Amino acid sequence: MRRYCNFVIGFAVLASLLAGSSILAQSRQDDVAVIVNPQNQIESISSIDLRKIFAGEKRSWNSNIPVFVVVRAPQAHERDILLSHVLRMTESEYKQYWVKKVYSGEVPREPLALLSNGMQLEAVRADKGGIALINLADVKQGVKVLKVDGKLPGAAGYTLR
Amino acid sequence: MRRILAVWSVVGLLACACFAQASQPAQDQHLAGDSAQSTGSSDSADTIKALMQEVKELKARVAALEARQAQPLQEQPSSAKPAMAAEAMKQEGTPAEGQTTNPEPVTGLFPGIRMSGFGALSYKATDARPLEAGLLGFRNNLNSNFAIGDVDLFLTSHLTSKASVLSEVVFSENAEKEFEIDVERLLLKYDFNDYLKLSFGRYHTGTSYYNTVFHHGQWLQTAADRPLVVEFSDHGGLLPSQGVGISMTGRIPSGSLGLNYIFEYGSSDIHRPSIANPDVEIAENNGQATTIGLFAKPDWLQGLQIGGSFYHDRINPDGGPLHIGQSIGSAHLVYLTPRFEFLNEGFVVQHKVQETGQKLNTPAFYSLISEKFGEKWRPYFRYQYINAATQSPLFADVTLRHGPSVGLRYDYNDYIALKTQYNRTFRRQLPDINDLLLQLAFRF
Repeated sequence: MRRYCNFVIGFAVLASLLAGSSILAQSRQDDVAVIVNPQNQIESISSIDLRKIFAGEKRSWNSNIPVFVVVRAPQAHERDILLSHVLRMTESEYKQYWVKKVYSGEVPREPLALLSNGMQLEAVRADKGGIALINLADVKQGVKVLKVDGKLPGAAGYTLR
Repeated sequence: MRRILAVWSVVGLLACACFAQASQPAQDQHLAGDSAQSTGSSDSADTIKALMQEVKELKARVAALEARQAQPLQEQPSSAKPAMAAEAMKQEGTPAEGQTTNPEPVTGLFPGIRMSGFGALSYKATDARPLEAGLLGFRNNLNSNFAIGDVDLFLTSHLTSKASVLSEVVFSENAEKEFEIDVERLLLKYDFNDYLKLSFGRYHTGTSYYNTVFHHGQWLQTAADRPLVVEFSDHGGLLPSQGVGISMTGRIPSGSLGLNYIFEYGSSDIHRPSIANPDVEIAENNGQATTIGLFAKPDWLQGLQIGGSFYHDRINPDGGPLHIGQSIGSAHLVYLTPRFEFLNEGFVVQHKVQETGQKLNTPAFYSLISEKFGEKWRPYFRYQYINAATQSPLFADVTLRHGPSVGLRYDYNDYIALKTQYNRTFRRQLPDINDLLLQLAFRF
């Protein structure tokens, strides 16, 4: 009887662990990666520089290539991560911010907002200065994933999740 | 006992399985959201229209790229080890032929001219005695009236990845309720990098922070009017607000201090109406003007900006006998976040009369604080101060003016704002003025 109970309990614990690891793997797939064009020399970016780029304050890479910022349209997961983790603004504040930014003459236009991650990938592939946030599961060939504060998506402590 | 254990085990397994599946609907939700947004999730029809246009352009570009590719891209399935997958993608290195990107073709994403605009309807009631000039579209010699003020058409065009054109054309309402067209800004801009950005044309001078940020759109500023010292010179302001020439700006390598510079060299021809007498206007006949500025935007406090500028030119008011060296020093401390606004600027305008050697200093400042409550309400408080010498050849109509303004801004949505504001102005040897301003400001 005791042997049978131990077997059942052990089986339940094992199943729980498997389920937990499945959840963890799923959440890592939900990490948002920072992608750039492969020709960009950069390998890692700090969260401060990431904010500056998506806020239009840093507009050229060190190689003098203009930064080409691509974002997702409202209500996408990547857009939520951009607003909540990178810029710390609401959607309305984001819109007002860019109206003021463009109007002040600092930037010629707001970041290009695209409707799908596939379009984001194409845009970043097409422009040497391209940068975008994209769900890790949607990352495909032809772009480079940057470390953020020294960590790649999926790693423990990665901030864009 | 055996049955209980068996049932408990089955229930436990089922719970685990359900929990494991829990993240799947969330992901599905994202996908659903992705597809749903194409059917109009955006709250703005024009945004959708613009995005759809961009979709078409991108599709065309993708088709062109695919046609040029020698080998089709092999899509890598996402790995169970995402970090390794990311590393593998990074090591892919050089993209396929056709993806070699010259920045110029990307400008195909931004054809044509983008236009936006700002407008406002204002109502002003005042008890000024004697009545002052009705500026900003308000009629002279009336205690209360409506005005449109400035209708601002703002155009930008992205020429290449580094070059763009900016144009701001303003239709200004005068006291006779007629509109005058003025090209407020027309700039060909070329950004070499973050350290050197050049602009050629007509610009708003860097004599004040306010002048470089808020320009003519009433909707952009929290308050219903500009502080008098930074009001546009053709509306009675004290500073030379416009110039024609070259402007340079950029970052200075300074680490987390975030230093930036401004340099402007150009000419201007300021015509400043008297705020006391609507029939008087002074043509300053400005010579070449130089502005240098420095400001810091430190990384350690996002939204903070500290800086200052120095402006110098020579003026010959109304072509008369006086030739005056005009120097303007300014300093600002600004803390600006989406919810909190704290603007502080101080100025000293010095006029040195060459013929007599007389120096006349006009100190001025304003301070504005506001905080957003909820998503729509933003109360604000402002205090402004100007102390011009009564014998000043340019600001004799201003003399001493100071006083508070309190107001409330209500953002109906992302495009329309309602503002109400009360100003009290104390003057030297003249009765105090009480103003009530109501404003409907919008962008389009």
